[in-house]
Amino acid sequence: MSPKAVFGGMLAFCVILGTIRANDTVIGGRKKTELSFWNGWTGPDGTAMLKMIREFNTENPDVEVSMQRIEWATYYNKLMVAELNQRGPELFVIHASTLPRMRRAGFVSDVSDLYSGAGAIRESDFDPYVLDQVKFGKEKIGLPLDIHPQGLYGNVDMLKEAGFVDARGNARLPVNREEFMRAIRAMMKTPKGDATPSVWGYSMTMWRNNFMSLVPQFDGHYLSKDGRADLANPGNIAALTFMADLAKNKLVPPPENQLGWVGYRQKKVGMVVDGVYMLGDLLRLEDMKYIGGPIPIIGNHAATMADSHVLCVKTGLSPEKREASERFIRYLSAHSIDWAKAGQVPARKSVRDTPEFRAMQVQYAFSKQIPTMEYPPRSTVLFELDFEIDHATEMAIRGDETPTAALKAATVNLQKVLDRENKDYGTGATP
Amino acid sequence: MKRLAEGLKNGLMTFLGLVFLSPIVLMVFTSMKPESEVLNPESAIPKHWTLGNFQHVLGWSEEAPFVRWLLNSVFVSTSTTLLVLTFSSMAAYAITRLKVPGGGVFLGIIVGAMMIPGQLFLVPVYLLLSKLHWLDTPAALIVPATAGGFGVFMLSQFMRSVPESLEEAAILDGCTTLGVFANVVLPLCGPAVATLGIFTFIGSWNDFLGPLVFMDSVRDYTLPVGIALYQASYYTQYGLTLATAVLGTVPLIIVFLLFQRYIVESMSSTGLKD
Amino acid sequence: MTFNRRRSLTGLLFLAPYAISFVTFIVLPIIVAAYLSVMQFDLTAKGSIHYVGLQNFKEAWADQYFWSGIKATLSFVILMVPSMLVFALGTAIGLNAMSRGRNAVRALLFLPGLLNVAVTAILWGWFYDGTFGLFNFLLKKVGIGEVHWLSEKALAMPSIVVMTLWWTMGGTAIVLLAALQQIPRHIIEAAALDGAGKWAMFRKIVFPLLTPVLLFVVITNTIGAFQVFGQPFLLTKGGPELATRGLVQYIYETAFNNYRMGYGAAMSWMLFAIIAVFALLQYRLLRRSVA
Repeated sequence: MSPKAVFGGMLAFCVILGTIRANDTVIGGRKKTELSFWNGWTGPDGTAMLKMIREFNTENPDVEVSMQRIEWATYYNKLMVAELNQRGPELFVIHASTLPRMRRAGFVSDVSDLYSGAGAIRESDFDPYVLDQVKFGKEKIGLPLDIHPQGLYGNVDMLKEAGFVDARGNARLPVNREEFMRAIRAMMKTPKGDATPSVWGYSMTMWRNNFMSLVPQFDGHYLSKDGRADLANPGNIAALTFMADLAKNKLVPPPENQLGWVGYRQKKVGMVVDGVYMLGDLLRLEDMKYIGGPIPIIGNHAATMADSHVLCVKTGLSPEKREASERFIRYLSAHSIDWAKAGQVPARKSVRDTPEFRAMQVQYAFSKQIPTMEYPPRSTVLFELDFEIDHATEMAIRGDETPTAALKAATVNLQKVLDRENKDYGTGATP
Repeated sequence: MKRLAEGLKNGLMTFLGLVFLSPIVLMVFTSMKPESEVLNPESAIPKHWTLGNFQHVLGWSEEAPFVRWLLNSVFVSTSTTLLVLTFSSMAAYAITRLKVPGGGVFLGIIVGAMMIPGQLFLVPVYLLLSKLHWLDTPAALIVPATAGGFGVFMLSQFMRSVPESLEEAAILDGCTTLGVFANVVLPLCGPAVATLGIFTFIGSWNDFLGPLVFMDSVRDYTLPVGIALYQASYYTQYGLTLATAVLGTVPLIIVFLLFQRYIVESMSSTGLKD
Repeated sequence: MTFNRRRSLTGLLFLAPYAISFVTFIVLPIIVAAYLSVMQFDLTAKGSIHYVGLQNFKEAWADQYFWSGIKATLSFVILMVPSMLVFALGTAIGLNAMSRGRNAVRALLFLPGLLNVAVTAILWGWFYDGTFGLFNFLLKKVGIGEVHWLSEKALAMPSIVVMTLWWTMGGTAIVLLAALQQIPRHIIEAAALDGAGKWAMFRKIVFPLLTPVLLFVVITNTIGAFQVFGQPFLLTKGGPELATRGLVQYIYETAFNNYRMGYGAAMSWMLFAIIAVFALLQYRLLRRSVA
């Protein structure tokens, strides 16, 4: 083969492929209002959302919504940059806790009109605490679709074996510290001659989330009232100490090898704390019996961490697109019972009050924590805070630092970030 | 005694080769196991062979458009290779044969720039691509890749060793410069161009940071980032993620087997001329 | 116009496509990177870009995460480059000594290099997994307990290095093999006739002849190792306790997770300076060792 033939062949090949790609890219017909909807639901939750979008598109022939999923880890970066380049989506999801940072970039629109006028979604249908998360001054910059609290998952067979049954003989979850510790010990199994257990009662999952779920129970916080970094307060130290002691006393798999969620679904771990959204992964399993419920009272009172997926609209849309976007948001919110099936708690009280929702064991049990849940702090430095907590929990649970020292170091680092923020933007920690 | 030593050497090296091969074989076998067998590595060879994982991966088109990723990867890698070969060979010819003024200095600058780590360019190129509105298009992955200096450097080294007399004869026969380049010089540089092409193709096929940063739409991902996305959401199911891994690797292994002789032979003969 | 003049004008046309690409995607970005490194530039507050002088560099100097990134990167370089050199050279010598099947083995060794980093990380992530992993399964078979390959601080980086060796060793070995094969047979034979021992032959004849190639291999591998990103990013996310979060990952996270473009650019320059120093040092040292 002569080089000319090779080059020519490659060129022809590229042209053909390029044509196929280009033609393949065209979605939907003409004369439709096309909306792009971005989110980070890359797991089974995304499958459920796709189904809802298909139904919306069928019921609304003049609109075509297409969904784009990006893993949460890179999602916010991609979203922000795309919006700043004027090529971002009309519709997108932002976690309630991330709104302050994203709002600063100026592409999230006020959607107060969703809550008033014809076809309005009544404000009273939301818990005030949840609605507060989207309020910035007079603006409401999104509609909370769901609430996803952290809660306790248990393996039914292992709970029964450990003697955790109610009056009717059904498995039940431990509800306080004493029961929790008893359950952990009762479920551990160590084969003869082995040093480490092969089955565990409890394993930590994501250390940061586990920690932040305990913090409100111990009345801890992350920022002081005047907006300074304050991670090493007594509540946080107590919460982290509880976790570090579990590791130190070998009541959980060694810190180097947390079995976590995978261990739970492999039936090597009896209980885990994780978000309600993980239910979707359990629904894929055929031979696993599980129940969900509130996090046991480890600290002073019942509480947990939660967050919400907030539906947002881009600023500066044409009236048609704006109308279609709001129609879509209303549709999702009104049909949030379908969303709940995938492992979510709807934000609307009216949807939570339906018998259909009450029949969803895990979702309903997790939703009972709503009155005592706490969201991460409303701060523009949440990403940096997350990183510092990741680092501090790791140091403490691995036993390389005391909880106090780890949290003190994190406070110093976070304060540096806050100082920089205040100097450069004057926005302070809380908007 | 000598034969024994020789057999030992051959055996030892063959064993090493098989050790290097074994993870790939294991990957293929495991992707053909049902999920219940995957985490139980009692036997490397599946007890129940199944293509279920592959069916699932390929049938998941709406959420993880695997065929589309494959198409993107082939398109991006082929286009990149074509452009790199064209630009580099023309530039090398201009520098070594057409004696462009300052060509030698330029070659020196190119080689110097090769020392600079790519990360330094990441943010500026990103901003540049966004100004050009090329982000999230294949151009973002194809065009910047043509700036690399390795091709020009390598082909320049090779072209110097092509006897000038052949060219002169062609010029006397009335060939244009382009004609000489396409009909005389390029064929003579065949092995070097093929090596460069293969390296470029593999590099582009396996690029991870570029598509991670420059592409947003899942449909426009190339295979490495697509596979990583798939793994992030299905990390609990090794069988499925390994099936994506196998599917992402097979095309390249085919290319390798087709051009095996070229790859290894010319890699040995051209990379080290100086 | 003279023949030569016309030729060099045509030459400019031939050079133009590459030159334009080079200027656009290498020269221009270098200038932009220099500009960014002295600016405060947060993407989430776009209007606030302003000149800060050397503050970004000073901040890096005082940033504990910058130093932990350097530490992680250095530990990868220090483990990776020498083991790569020894292993690849040994393999090349072994291949050179083979009398049959050399080409087949050479192809097998090269095969892992075809896998992309995501696939490699998935595969080895499974090998290394503490509970469900293949390595621990094999260890248990021979009666050794669990080893936490990726989550034990002392083991994580070596584990990543072993994976990288498997992944990239083939290419380097082939380059070295080619160099070995270029050593004229008669030199070796003459030395053998003079009664030189195997080790002396290697040290006095083979090694000096290999030096230019070794220099090439060491420097390119060092530059590559300093830029390590994909393997730890996918395998350990930089953990445990940041032990594998190299500087490139920190730069990536600074620029693309925390949106601090200026600071990211400044740290990139510092990484470049470190690489340049190392490359120069190696060049000097190796050159001297031959002379």
